[in-house]
Amino acid sequence: MKFLRKYSTIIRISLQNAFVYRSNVLGGLLFYIVFIFVFFNLWRAIYQSGKVAGYTLSQMVWYLCMTELIAFGCKSNVFRQMNEDVKSGSIAYQLNRPYHYIIYQFSYTFGGIIFNLLIYGALAIVLGLIMVGPIPGFQLSLLPFGIFSAVLGILLNFFFLMALGLTAFRLEDNTAFFLIYQKLVFMLGMFIPLEFLPGWIQRIARWLPFSYVTWAPARLIVAFSWDLFRQVVPMQLLWLAVSVLFASGMYNYGVRGLQAHGG
Amino acid sequence: MSVIEVRSLNKLYRARVKEEGLGASFRALIKPVYKEVHAVKNISFTVDKGEILAFIGPNGAGKSTTIKMLTGILHPTSGEISVLGFDPVKQRKQLSYHIGTVFGQKSQLWFHLPPVDSFALLGAIYDIDKKTLKKREEELIECFELGDLIKTPVRKLSLGQRIRCEVAASLLHSPDILFLDEPTIGLDVVVKQKIRELILRMNRDQGTTIFLTSHDTGDVEQLCRRAIVIDHGEIILDQPVKKLKYDYLNRKIIAVRFNLEQHLDVPKGVVVEKSGKMGARLSVDTRVCSIDEAMRWIISQGGVADITVEDPPMEEIISTIFTGKNTAE
Repeated sequence: MKFLRKYSTIIRISLQNAFVYRSNVLGGLLFYIVFIFVFFNLWRAIYQSGKVAGYTLSQMVWYLCMTELIAFGCKSNVFRQMNEDVKSGSIAYQLNRPYHYIIYQFSYTFGGIIFNLLIYGALAIVLGLIMVGPIPGFQLSLLPFGIFSAVLGILLNFFFLMALGLTAFRLEDNTAFFLIYQKLVFMLGMFIPLEFLPGWIQRIARWLPFSYVTWAPARLIVAFSWDLFRQVVPMQLLWLAVSVLFASGMYNYGVRGLQAHGG
Repeated sequence: MSVIEVRSLNKLYRARVKEEGLGASFRALIKPVYKEVHAVKNISFTVDKGEILAFIGPNGAGKSTTIKMLTGILHPTSGEISVLGFDPVKQRKQLSYHIGTVFGQKSQLWFHLPPVDSFALLGAIYDIDKKTLKKREEELIECFELGDLIKTPVRKLSLGQRIRCEVAASLLHSPDILFLDEPTIGLDVVVKQKIRELILRMNRDQGTTIFLTSHDTGDVEQLCRRAIVIDHGEIILDQPVKKLKYDYLNRKIIAVRFNLEQHLDVPKGVVVEKSGKMGARLSVDTRVCSIDEAMRWIISQGGVADITVEDPPMEEIISTIFTGKNTAE
């Protein structure tokens, strides 16, 4: 009970905090619209020649709306936040509190994610409907499975970013990791579906975590199949477990040898 | 009854060193060179319940490192620490319910939200039930004269107002010990005074033990009964502030500027540290010549354009302690 109250209050406060950045929110929404619109036109031009890699134009646009929804939705600052907290030494304030630091950070980010998913979700649906109409063959009863996969993707992304941010404990400059991670997530799913890439890359990517952040859930939402669900969800769960272990490992390792910066 | 016990505490850091130049950067990439920094050297002390202790020393003396070890953030290299009977390394979480910390240069409040939201969050973090939290909040608002400040977003508060809120925030869970790391840094004289009064009141009314680091001599003189002076990681002095004051905080620096040329014939207890045609920097030994006398004398010279009275900087006091010790030995 106490546990719930503690972390739900953190979520509530960070949600409140998210509302403060009004111009940020509006800017983000505008950016999302521009982004989708540009790619919508690009894909429309490409689709003059028919179906590409098993996606119809309408599926492609919805795919894009979904991957970008996840990208914008969990555009959490967890990497930057961790990085800064460790480097500026303000982590000192956060360590001697009666909570579990990782759960605290998670709850903190969660508030922002809920907020983002709600507003970007609404926008994504509106944009998709305006541009290409409803998803062909869409079944509302299967949506919860897609959403489940999306939640796994978001969690996976969160814990990987957190672990990478926590490498700041030991490394002076860790932004390279972040950039590499971000680019891989972008190339292996967010920007184009995995099916568009050469076969051998697809086979490798299916063993790596990056495609499970956006590709798996977006594909499940636009073209659900039980086969795919059975393939991707266990992989998502596996990588989620790895990322959680990685993050808590980095944390324990960092705290033990913490050298607080800035006096 | 002692609430903090520290025995032969040591902290060694391993810092990377790099020589100048690109070549050295490259070598450091392949084979980094480390230098051991002995931040805290074999220190031992105890703090009694209800005491206000000043932990003073120049920048980089090891003050913050010590506080961080006492609160469990940093792990000591060797030595024993007991805070309220807890071992900060192993029982950091249990200990954290009983201590509060304020780092003057960092903030625990949410920048964009009013402090009252941060208070609610801290209340949840420390498992304070709603009713107790409400009562405690009201107490602190009254005591720290926060009023409407707590409903103003932190980014709109002045530094002094923010620090008042920071201290109040760290007292929400009624800690037994309050660690204050440079609480008055960057504040102007009036606000400093206000913060000091509040700290004293907390100590008097609630019996909160206060462990304060500062390099402001004013903080020490006005707040504390006992001071530990630390330099280069070692305790060089541990004595009542009264004695410290008599032995070392006995000088004031007066800088004076005149409208016309003056030939200064200084009274006893006053030393001219630096003088020009139109002004001088004087060091006054207040045991021999009170500030009152010194000022009267300066005014009597006539044609005073400007005058400032300051405490000698901490670095100077520390070096005095060192030389004093050396000559005594």
